[in-house]
Amino acid sequence: MSQPSLTLPTPGQQEGRNRRLLELLGAAAIAATFLFLVLTQPADIAGGLGSVSALVALGGFLLGAALLIVGVLPTLPTSTVVLMPVALVLNIVLGQLMGTSGLPFYFDAIGTVLIAVLAGPAAGAATGALSSIVWSFINPTVLPFAAGAALIGFLAGTAARYGLFRRFYLAPVAGFATGILAGVVSAPIAAFVFGGTSGAGTGAIVSAFRAMGDTLLAAITKQALISDPMDKAIVFAIAAMLVYALPRRTTFQFPFVRRCNVLAGKKPVQKDS
Amino acid sequence: MVPRLNPLTLLAAAAAVLVMTTAASSWAVSLTVASGAVALAAALGRARRVLLAGGAILAPFWLSLLVMHGLFYPEGRTVLAGWGPARVTAEGIGFAFDMGLRTSAFVLVLMLFSFSVRVPDLVAALATLRLPPQFGYVLASTLMLAPIIAVRLHTVRQAQESRGLVVEKGLGSRLKAVRLQMVPLVLGLVHDAGTRAQALDARGFRRAGPRTSYREVHDSAAQRFFRWAILLLAGAAVVLRIVASASGGGPA
Amino acid sequence: MSRQEMSGRNTSGQNAARTTLCAAIEGFTFHGGSGPALRGVEIEITPGSLTAVLGGSGSGKSTLGRLLAAWLAGGRDGVLRGTLQLAAGGRQGEGCPLVFSGTGDDPRIDSAAWADHVGYVPQDAAAMLSAVRGTVEEELAFGLENRGTARSEMTRIVAETARRTGLTALLERDPATLSGGELRRLAIGCAIVTGPGVLILDEPLASLDPAGERTVMELVRDVRGRGAAVVVLSQHADGLTRQATHWLVLEDGAATAAGPPDRLLAGGSLASSGVVVGGPPVLPAAGAGSRPVAAAAPAAASGPAPAPGLPPALQLEGVSFGFDANDPGSPLLLKNINLDVRPGEIVAVTGPNGAGKSTLLRLFNGLLRPLRGNVRVAGKGIAGVPTGVVAERLGLLFQHPHDQLFERTVQREVIFGLERLFGQHASAKAAAALAEVGLDASGGVHPHELSGSGQRLLALATVLAREPAVLALDEPTVALDAHGLDRLTAAITAAAGRGAAVVLVTHDLAFARAHAHRTVELKDGALVGC
Repeated sequence: MSQPSLTLPTPGQQEGRNRRLLELLGAAAIAATFLFLVLTQPADIAGGLGSVSALVALGGFLLGAALLIVGVLPTLPTSTVVLMPVALVLNIVLGQLMGTSGLPFYFDAIGTVLIAVLAGPAAGAATGALSSIVWSFINPTVLPFAAGAALIGFLAGTAARYGLFRRFYLAPVAGFATGILAGVVSAPIAAFVFGGTSGAGTGAIVSAFRAMGDTLLAAITKQALISDPMDKAIVFAIAAMLVYALPRRTTFQFPFVRRCNVLAGKKPVQKDS
Repeated sequence: MVPRLNPLTLLAAAAAVLVMTTAASSWAVSLTVASGAVALAAALGRARRVLLAGGAILAPFWLSLLVMHGLFYPEGRTVLAGWGPARVTAEGIGFAFDMGLRTSAFVLVLMLFSFSVRVPDLVAALATLRLPPQFGYVLASTLMLAPIIAVRLHTVRQAQESRGLVVEKGLGSRLKAVRLQMVPLVLGLVHDAGTRAQALDARGFRRAGPRTSYREVHDSAAQRFFRWAILLLAGAAVVLRIVASASGGGPA
Repeated sequence: MSRQEMSGRNTSGQNAARTTLCAAIEGFTFHGGSGPALRGVEIEITPGSLTAVLGGSGSGKSTLGRLLAAWLAGGRDGVLRGTLQLAAGGRQGEGCPLVFSGTGDDPRIDSAAWADHVGYVPQDAAAMLSAVRGTVEEELAFGLENRGTARSEMTRIVAETARRTGLTALLERDPATLSGGELRRLAIGCAIVTGPGVLILDEPLASLDPAGERTVMELVRDVRGRGAAVVVLSQHADGLTRQATHWLVLEDGAATAAGPPDRLLAGGSLASSGVVVGGPPVLPAAGAGSRPVAAAAPAAASGPAPAPGLPPALQLEGVSFGFDANDPGSPLLLKNINLDVRPGEIVAVTGPNGAGKSTLLRLFNGLLRPLRGNVRVAGKGIAGVPTGVVAERLGLLFQHPHDQLFERTVQREVIFGLERLFGQHASAKAAAALAEVGLDASGGVHPHELSGSGQRLLALATVLAREPAVLALDEPTVALDAHGLDRLTAAITAAAGRGAAVVLVTHDLAFARAHAHRTVELKDGALVGC
């Protein structure tokens, strides 16, 4: 070729299919890990330390998160990739502040939800997983929660796709539902990898359930069902507030916002080509 | 000594040690690994930073574990003391120590890694693994962006105080102030990101094909061998543990 | 494309390939934009030429520049109708034109391949940088790494580019620590590292001091000397744009005039465009004040200076300040400053970059506290008073409006917090302030969708609406076009007429002389010429 091409070819089908496969494998790894943990849990906790459970939880969830990242990242437009570090800093800074406050909330997903609303479920999932990985450079204990964080991003993006961010009051509702699922998925990590939760607020709630005779996983799951839905409802509301503060031209940079008509009162002027 | 090591070697070593510690599942191994990490940090002159950062994470965690399992462990049989619903059991204390030590090893090893590795070197090394370049970008950009965002938040706060927006004290007004500061901060960052994305595309960020690295990261055949060996060892530890557990003879 | 060919063209040390770029843009509308950002603009850029695209703030200059450089893409960023034609190698007609009709079948430009021929440097140079490279040399190498250039070749090109941009001594520095002028040169270096035949510079002289302007102008001459074409986007008919061979004037997204500079200047086609037209061409070696100013009227334009009998609205008594408060032996940035500004008086503070002008402003409202001495606003000392409370009497405006604006519409932005001050009169006060800066028709617009000039004026309106006794402005002329400068001048004159004291910090000596009653210079930590 003497004259290199200045234009891009239409994207190949094969490439896209391979990426899609990685995403599905990642999701499957996370789902299988969760099922394994829930099914084998009673025997393990009676035996004392869940070493195999811990290994499976760490390995399965991290593998799933890694596959998601590798599958999703190359498909994202650069404008989304460049926004991810901003989202991650928001997650980490607010999460660190909340972690030291003693309240049973986390606030560590505002950036993830922001990306999910602007760029869709896949981008949200990758942001969530990346957030845990990058945050672990400062606080290693969040690393095993990568799969839960990815799930939050995925669900937030799905909520946005089906119009739950078009009404301001629906966003916290979607957050509440997301919190239930995310809490249930993250509880086995807290139980099997760490044997409990960090932080005074969450610890007190788990202790209360344990005093009533619950198993550790059940107690932590119940604690998560108290903290997570509330936390995610607030986080979704804040993210919605931020998205609506953005100028139209900025939100419309994102094909997902245009194509799925994510935001209220922001109908496209012209048909997207 | 550490700067001479490839970041991937450090990463492989940290990961393998953690996998083996989890597989061993014994407080003695956990304690050895945790103190080994501290000793290594001391030898490298980073003990203060590793202990401070690790301590800030581990202290509340230990407290929470001791209260949770020390006082409430319904599976416990050996009761040492009891006050109504709260019972101190030997099993509960033991479980708290097992978990606490394992997490301490986990945190200290990873803190030692993140304080020893130089992020630009790590990103350059990751690029050789054929990971998507976006991964290295997000990792490096997040860690480099944090101080810039802190400065920016400070100027936003100053600009708004000068407009007379931050006056009262109290929770409600504090929350209002947070909203007023978050919005310009996020808007500004999103705006900059838009321009940066266009610039990165023009500079070939999405180019397919091979890339090179301006930064030279030291590597050697010995290090490559070490990485493979230690990861294989970690894999063997996992297999052993699963076999032991499946045959029902695994230690408690 | 093979690796050899890529590195073969990487010879930025030699002459650039002769490149011709032609564009005919019938229309470009951003996704979510309320109207076309550009319509009916044609431009032809030939090897070695210097083209200036002139226009006021928001006239579409940057949009045109980004379309030409494929930073904006039809389809991805908006709906584009028109043609783009890039002929590398100098022969016209080679390389068939890319035709955009605004549909899904339009060609998708490979922005990286395009950037090998057409480089673009945005006004905000920091946004050009990858922000993931720790040193200047690695930042320069970023574009080469991505195209797989061999290491030895990369080292050679980086060294050569650093020499051309005068960055050789700074190669090991962290880009975050560079000054404005150094940052601009680094951004240009990142654009020319691949040896493009066309270089597009967006406001390359904005907020540079005279020394910084000189280095950028020399760099432009060097680039042209190698056969590359340069396009400058600017709202100033200044020393650089007056050297251009061809001018294109944009107004509201449409081309209103084109031709050689002399003819357009003589014909008065710039009058309504918002382009700031200065005096005679300024030589690169000229000292301070090389930035021309609109309507260099005599000081009488600001109205008569107030009677000296009134008590000062702002008073600084023996104020000293240094950033290292704990070390009494450390040098002070400001030493024993005395300044009285009376109601109705406009005082300009000038001085070189880094003299402490912005620090002085921050002492006025307590963002910084003096080590020694007193600051009094409207007769009352501000020691121990929170900045938010001082702000009721003293309005301080920073350079970057982005940091202050947070509402969804212009209207809500100005009215925010006014109820507490004025009760039911709030909306009338807000409307008056908006009218004063000429934004009364834009009340429903998102603040970030205003032009750069409009955003600064909006920030000014939010301060004016509160009717402070003292108005303190940091570099108010930066980023304003001619219309904006007129509004600014009118607004501060009116505020002074109502009895407000005005202090403005500026590097623009001509503006200071024209519109202030008094100009003082901050030099070596002391105020000269009070």
